[in-house]
Amino acid sequence: MNKKITAIVIVLVVALLGFLGYRAFISPKGVEGGKEVTINIIVEKEGIDETFKYNTDHEFLIELLEEKQEELDISFEEFDLGKMVTGMMGYEVDPTSEYFHIYINGEDAMTGVGEIPLNNEDIYTFELKNL
Amino acid sequence: MEAMKAMKVKDIILIGILSATITAGKLALSFIPNIEIVTLLFITYTIVFGYKKTLLISIIFSTTEIFIYGFNTWLLGYYLIWPLLILLTALMKKIIKSEYGYATIGAIFGYGFGFFFAIVESFFYGIAYGWVYWLRGLLFDLVHGTSNFIIILILFNPLKNLLFKLKRTYYNNS
Repeated sequence: MNKKITAIVIVLVVALLGFLGYRAFISPKGVEGGKEVTINIIVEKEGIDETFKYNTDHEFLIELLEEKQEELDISFEEFDLGKMVTGMMGYEVDPTSEYFHIYINGEDAMTGVGEIPLNNEDIYTFELKNL
Repeated sequence: MEAMKAMKVKDIILIGILSATITAGKLALSFIPNIEIVTLLFITYTIVFGYKKTLLISIIFSTTEIFIYGFNTWLLGYYLIWPLLILLTALMKKIIKSEYGYATIGAIFGYGFGFFFAIVESFFYGIAYGWVYWLRGLLFDLVHGTSNFIIILILFNPLKNLLFKLKRTYYNNS
């Protein structure tokens, strides 16, 4: 039994090191302080193409979206992997065929809204796309 | 001939019951992300009942998932990844002498789970999506692999012994 406890402790320590490594090298980091950012929402089939400029102290995009949830008429859905935007400007996606694709300064976002750090003068575009 | 028929009926019943235990086991722990006993059950069933029956169980389990969650691309991965685990367990059976070996298989399986699904998702949505999918799930994979190791290390032997005993009783009473 002692051998098993030792093995479990070793695996837990390795997992902890893995977690710390993830936080240090992979996990996106927020930037403190004031920033001016732009949010662009495009739902072509509804003729929606709106741009919003915000001054914010938030570090991650999700925090800003949650603060402006009413103004941007956003709805979220919680998944195991984090929150996902399922509606903007009152338009709800059909989850079987559509989603909001996120661009950061015109480039595909590599993570979901929960892990996108806000940077000064960045433009975050949400465009409705088909799966 | 009658004995053979009886055996087949017993096999069918057994496969049905074992499939149900896996679905129930998954649902019971579904409120904790990526901590599951499905890996433990598939490994143990492969050792006790053999890979052929367990492969059938995995197909029933994956199909039941579609009935529960609806059709998703990740469910296609289920039809591949569980049989892969079963075949790997069956292949390693002669080499592995203790629960530590199976716990290690479970750990590697858990750590690589997200990567495998990222490959499957890449076929549907592109490499960029697969990459994001894998990166976002890394912490979940860490939990998955680590918890698999601990669960299998602790529960594999008692479960295996119990199932061997039940198997003998089940088939000897036919």
